[in-house]
Amino acid sequence: MSALINENTNVLVAGITGKSGALQTRVMKEYGTKIVAGVTPGKGGQELDGIPVYDLVQEAALEHRIDAAISFVPAKAVKDSAFEIIDSGIKFLVLTMEEIPSQDVIEILNYADAHGTRILGPGTAGLIAPGKCKLGAHPPMMYMEGDVSIVSKSGALSYEIGKSLTEAGIGQSTVMALGGGPLWGMTQRDAIALFQEDPQTKVIVLLGEIGGTMEEDAADFIAEHVTKPVVSMIVGRAAPEGKSLGHAGAIVQGNKGTAQSKIAKLKEAGVQVGRTPQEMVEIIRKIRGDN
Amino acid sequence: MNLFEFQGKRLFGQKGIPIPEGHILTSTDELDKVTFPAVFKAQVHSGGRGKAGGVKVCNSREEAKEALGHILGMTIGGLPVAAVLAEGLAEIQEEFYLSITLPAGSKKAMVMFSPAGGVEIEKVAEEDPEQIYTFYVDPFIGITGYQIRHMARKLGYGDVRDLAKILTSLYDVFISNDATLVEINPLVVTPDGLLALDSKVVLDDKAVIRQKELFDSISVENGSLPGMEQEEAKDDTITYVPLDSGSVGLISDGAGTGMLTLDLIRDAGGEAACFCEMGGLTSPEVMYSAMEKVLKDPKVKSLLVVLIGGFNRMDEMAEGIVRYRDEKGLEVPISVRMCGTLEEEGEKIMKSAGLPICRDLLEAVRTSVQMAGRE
Repeated sequence: MSALINENTNVLVAGITGKSGALQTRVMKEYGTKIVAGVTPGKGGQELDGIPVYDLVQEAALEHRIDAAISFVPAKAVKDSAFEIIDSGIKFLVLTMEEIPSQDVIEILNYADAHGTRILGPGTAGLIAPGKCKLGAHPPMMYMEGDVSIVSKSGALSYEIGKSLTEAGIGQSTVMALGGGPLWGMTQRDAIALFQEDPQTKVIVLLGEIGGTMEEDAADFIAEHVTKPVVSMIVGRAAPEGKSLGHAGAIVQGNKGTAQSKIAKLKEAGVQVGRTPQEMVEIIRKIRGDN
Repeated sequence: MNLFEFQGKRLFGQKGIPIPEGHILTSTDELDKVTFPAVFKAQVHSGGRGKAGGVKVCNSREEAKEALGHILGMTIGGLPVAAVLAEGLAEIQEEFYLSITLPAGSKKAMVMFSPAGGVEIEKVAEEDPEQIYTFYVDPFIGITGYQIRHMARKLGYGDVRDLAKILTSLYDVFISNDATLVEINPLVVTPDGLLALDSKVVLDDKAVIRQKELFDSISVENGSLPGMEQEEAKDDTITYVPLDSGSVGLISDGAGTGMLTLDLIRDAGGEAACFCEMGGLTSPEVMYSAMEKVLKDPKVKSLLVVLIGGFNRMDEMAEGIVRYRDEKGLEVPISVRMCGTLEEEGEKIMKSAGLPICRDLLEAVRTSVQMAGRE
């Protein structure tokens, strides 16, 4: 099954003819993702690797059933494009672009909430259901199909743990990156709720980092609603105070947002915490009863 | 981008928020403009200027000359004072706090207010948290009438229309300039109504694509102030954070992996000399300039490059590393972990240049910590 996407998910690519859009579309299609349509205003009627390109999302939606969209539209135009996708009734949108003005992000997130569309991102590497569907940047060689699902703020960190698991012979159901923030559509809590419902997922991995309170919110949710085993790693244990480390939200202020306080809260919620990718693999191995 | 008080107040004034009449001064020759008594306030991107002696009330020109000279020569929080704002004195009856921000993880702008203004809001939050009130603003509706009436009640301020004017104007400043923070502390009650006695404004750097005129005018203005250098435009997405001690120069192609590597370096008994993450837009040039930034630091005794490519291509990363080695030379040992998109192409380029790579993160970390320990 996998959460949110699978081998039957019909995908629309917004901004399909741009440099990044075209390149990523080819990689996703090669992986097996069912990309049924692309949109770039002014490029309607063209094709990209056999995928029809439309001027308007609504035109594409008339011709195809669309379950999910991924956007490579530049920051300046992304808000309008997102509104168009939401108004066309598409219920899941992945926003890969990073440098979107904050107030546009706020408008997109609120409009999406009001119309029942899930937003992953902005600034996200997307998600992958290994062996079935890839929506975003996740490098295919890091993953194999299986029963562990991963949610991470950082894309690269999710590849890192995916790689360690795959090398240990442990496959994944869904691997999802949320983006570096400080504004997010989907949260760790949202992802974990989906993993709890996904029949393929047996073990949930939560990858967090210093700053903010998203990990703490997830811990509260886990304590109340999650019956599957959750394993977590929080990076930034060695982070200096008061400095933003690459992600806007990744900052320790005073004793707030430290890795140590997040780890303590997660442990209270019954989550097992590893310090390194190797420790994560060992813990997951034990949970699954492997040798 | 942080604005100085006088720049924030200018934006306030443009939207009809009452501000004291004031003049910006950069030398003691400009005192002719000022009517006394007046308050002289250091313009500096740092808190605590009052405690540091950067705010002074003067009753005469003679008194002001000395105070102004003193403040202009001050350094507050490690930053030189850029200018002094001279303003007429207000007749203060009460002091409130008011701000609008985009808190991390929030989906709406948040209004925060308090009847306990005039002191640092962090201090109020610690000592008297029930004196702080917040509410959220729907981006498609804006601030509603009932929210303003609620606020007037909590502040104990009877003139709801006056308060409505201030709050809706401040929201207008926030939206129309793409700010991520607008703050008035204190917002004072005077016999003539509310007055913004201070300002703090932070603009959203991501909005520069549609606020170019505003950003440019602030940069030019800052460049004209004494002690301020024209800020160089940043044309890449690299985050470079120098760290106090440590000898391992760290470059990564993702923030999460970078932070993990920082932890692993410490676990292995080493310390990183810096945190350098290349951000969302990578190319051979970005790799090259990341190496330039990190290797400039003489503390660096070994270089650790951690790459795990998604959107990022390993052939391009290898190209950047080899080009740097060929053009500038490498004086410290380098350890590269390379995997992900186009990893075989990247490996080929590295190997034919005689540079080793490894696939395992922990191995790369241990190697570089060990090499940094050797003199």
